[in-house]
Amino acid sequence: MKLLTNVRKLLLRCRQSPTLRPMTRTKTTTTTQAHDAADEPALTSAQLDELEQNVQLRQHKNNVPRIRQLVEALRQGGQTQDVIRQQLAAELQQLPNATHPRLLAYDNQPLELANYKHRVLPQQGAKEFSELARALSLYRMEHLGNYTGHKSYYLTGQLAMLEQAIIQYALRSLTRHGFKLISVPDILPREIIESCGMRTEGERTQVYKLDTDQCLSGTSEMALAGFFANRQLMEWELPVKVAAVSRCYRAETSGLHEEKGIYRVHQFTKVEMFAIATPEQSEPMLEEFKNIEIDLFKQLGINFRLLDMPPCELGAPAYQKYDIEAWLPGRQMWGEISSCSNCTDYQAKRLNVKYNRARDAALIHAHTLNGTATAIPRLLIALVESYQSADSIQIPEVLVPFMNGQRTITKNKKIPETKLVKFIRSA
Amino acid sequence: MLKLRGVVSKCFFLRRHISALYITGDKANENYVTLQPFLDFAGTFRDRAVLEQSIARRGLAIDLEEMLTKYATYQTHHEQLLRLEEERDAITKELKLLTKSGGSAAQLEELRARGKVLRNEVKALKQSLYPIEDDFIHDFLHLPNGLHSHCPQTNVEKLIYRHKTPPAVEQPRWHLDRKELVHFVDNNRYYMMEKAAHFDVDAMQALARYFVTHGDFVQTSNPDFVRCVLLEANATPLSQYHLVREEHLLNKLNTAYLTGGGAFESFLGTLTKLCVYPSVLPLRYVACGRSYNREEALAYGPTPSLYTATQTNAVQSLVATQTEADADAALEHVLNLAIDFYKSLDIPFRIVYVTAERLTPAESLRASIEVYAPSLKRYVCVGRISNYGDFVSKRILFSTRRDKHYDFLHLVGGPVLYTTRLIAALIELGVKLEASKLPGALQLGPSVQAMSQHQRDLQEFKDLFK
Repeated sequence: MKLLTNVRKLLLRCRQSPTLRPMTRTKTTTTTQAHDAADEPALTSAQLDELEQNVQLRQHKNNVPRIRQLVEALRQGGQTQDVIRQQLAAELQQLPNATHPRLLAYDNQPLELANYKHRVLPQQGAKEFSELARALSLYRMEHLGNYTGHKSYYLTGQLAMLEQAIIQYALRSLTRHGFKLISVPDILPREIIESCGMRTEGERTQVYKLDTDQCLSGTSEMALAGFFANRQLMEWELPVKVAAVSRCYRAETSGLHEEKGIYRVHQFTKVEMFAIATPEQSEPMLEEFKNIEIDLFKQLGINFRLLDMPPCELGAPAYQKYDIEAWLPGRQMWGEISSCSNCTDYQAKRLNVKYNRARDAALIHAHTLNGTATAIPRLLIALVESYQSADSIQIPEVLVPFMNGQRTITKNKKIPETKLVKFIRSA
Repeated sequence: MLKLRGVVSKCFFLRRHISALYITGDKANENYVTLQPFLDFAGTFRDRAVLEQSIARRGLAIDLEEMLTKYATYQTHHEQLLRLEEERDAITKELKLLTKSGGSAAQLEELRARGKVLRNEVKALKQSLYPIEDDFIHDFLHLPNGLHSHCPQTNVEKLIYRHKTPPAVEQPRWHLDRKELVHFVDNNRYYMMEKAAHFDVDAMQALARYFVTHGDFVQTSNPDFVRCVLLEANATPLSQYHLVREEHLLNKLNTAYLTGGGAFESFLGTLTKLCVYPSVLPLRYVACGRSYNREEALAYGPTPSLYTATQTNAVQSLVATQTEADADAALEHVLNLAIDFYKSLDIPFRIVYVTAERLTPAESLRASIEVYAPSLKRYVCVGRISNYGDFVSKRILFSTRRDKHYDFLHLVGGPVLYTTRLIAALIELGVKLEASKLPGALQLGPSVQAMSQHQRDLQEFKDLFK
């Protein structure tokens, strides 16, 4: 951890350079201390080794050799110090968060912490979501690419109602747990998205860009992080727990057979949890997120397992992360339906989110956490495949009140079948 | 200002000479054809006076005389092409017959030579027809729909329903002053908190539920991107939506736009080329979703606020009917459901038929649902239901089969609720943001409510020790 403190000091110093990161600079509420020469971070070779080990452990792009070069160039002095500082800041931004020590022994495999079985599901013969949904005219995905885009989809009838029921079910649960709902924007400036640890440039970016150069949010965590950017909170206000319902846009594609249909799509709705906490609160808060998620899926009566994710699966911002995978009987596979992460102060540093510590009035970077309450498409797959019967789908008991009392999903004859014409000759 | 914006958007629409909706053969190699609209020349030009009136009342800069001249040229060339192709077919048949019946070599050779000449003539004619076709058909696609008899004859909107009169307040509240409810950054970025955030979701869900339970609508969840071909089919000015930059765009003409699943155009994807049985008609759809119309809201500027925001939650409706009379009834039905909803809020609102110059070329009539915004001292649009006749259906080939021909369906629809603008107005009108009394609000059984209340109490108790 000492090592990261040094890196952070360096990062802070680079940020204070006038040419860097306008977003974090403009609205800062006088929270950063002026750089003192005595504070000059001196990254030793051993510390850089440790940093590199963390990068490699997380299978992250290794830019430590480049950092070594830049640190060395800084030491030597010269006239291009500002340019080097800028480059160094950019490289330091790319480094992943530290890793929770308990994950070091995981050998890149997730650890199954619990397995919840609520239903007896068939070993074979269960139908897959798209087959079930198409037979009941609940969904359409074919022949839409030229009109509404690649992998776009329509949910119809009771399946569309089920989407709204799941949102309401999750929101009521989160409200009971003290989360405050916030309506969030889906169009965001590039800087906010990058501050959350997502890259917006390059061939393999998952971020959609608009003609105005703004970006589409991949998850409401980004908008929520932007909401709290440059804020200075009091310790008694923490933890701040907020929830949001948002549309998520992801440019990623997948040709994998097991990810066909609505398993991996470009647009979907998600109910998200987000919290800002003190360093002491963040670990128990992650446990609370995890328990809320478990409770949500337990009540939905699906079979799922809880995984503690290894370093290579954490992405850049997370210090530790739990995933929940549901058993999808139609696909005969586990599918990730939820996750929650403790990002410690990784995002807070980039977004300049601080709190005033009660005992000594010191300004400390807060910790941020995020978790999925419900992400619609995959949860729909899990529910429809788990609750299938011959010609209908049972609605989980907890969702019945949000479905106007309906208990089963059946075929609606008012929904037209997909019968397409190629051409109608003009008069 | 509004008029100027209308003219600008009309010019923008008319300026676009390349179309994803109609691609001539010479360009089909680079930009493949995704949809061939049904071009109803006869129907469009049948009543010239009606068409002329529609163009004039909408304030469109279209020279119908010039258009008809282009049509005549197009028709002449087209008929000539048809004649040549018929002749070629006849020769092909004759050749087959002669080959079978053992015709002389000289006869066969003569026919083959004639066939070659015809083939070259067809090719040459097609080449000369492309620019004529390009010029005429793109102009033809810019022609507007006819106007509905209910559309105001003058430049004054027609009031058809009003509830309560606007309050006379000297210094009205400004919704952005309620910092605990709204955090506004710019037109693309705002946050709503507490009751405003709950109302944002709950009101949208309640109204959609009301349409399902009381209006016999089928709920849908629609995609957020709509490609250019559908926006053109719906005659939507492209400037209304953000263009999405796609890394691997296959058809450069057919780009994607961020409309949101709560936009009318988003329904069109599932209706394109669809042929339905008459038994499903009238087809009634309602959807919850986002709407990201960046241009429409600017009418409520220049001061940026929730009234001018691009993003909003929306409830979107669409009804497809077989006849014009059914479409009229559907519009009334949708409006009645909307009236129930807004009446329950007991706020000053009205419904007006907007003037022809405010319509898009595809609309024949638009009813605008407007709520009074005290800070702006005017009504703001929180929904609008339009009658499109069969104008859009012909372009997207949405039909039903009757006997042996296709009937294009009449479309009615539009957003019945924009939550963001409604919330701003409710804050300013001092109305509580409570969705529980709205038509369609969740009626939870006592067990669910009791459980929630118990857990809420427990939470409040725990909060005491924080």
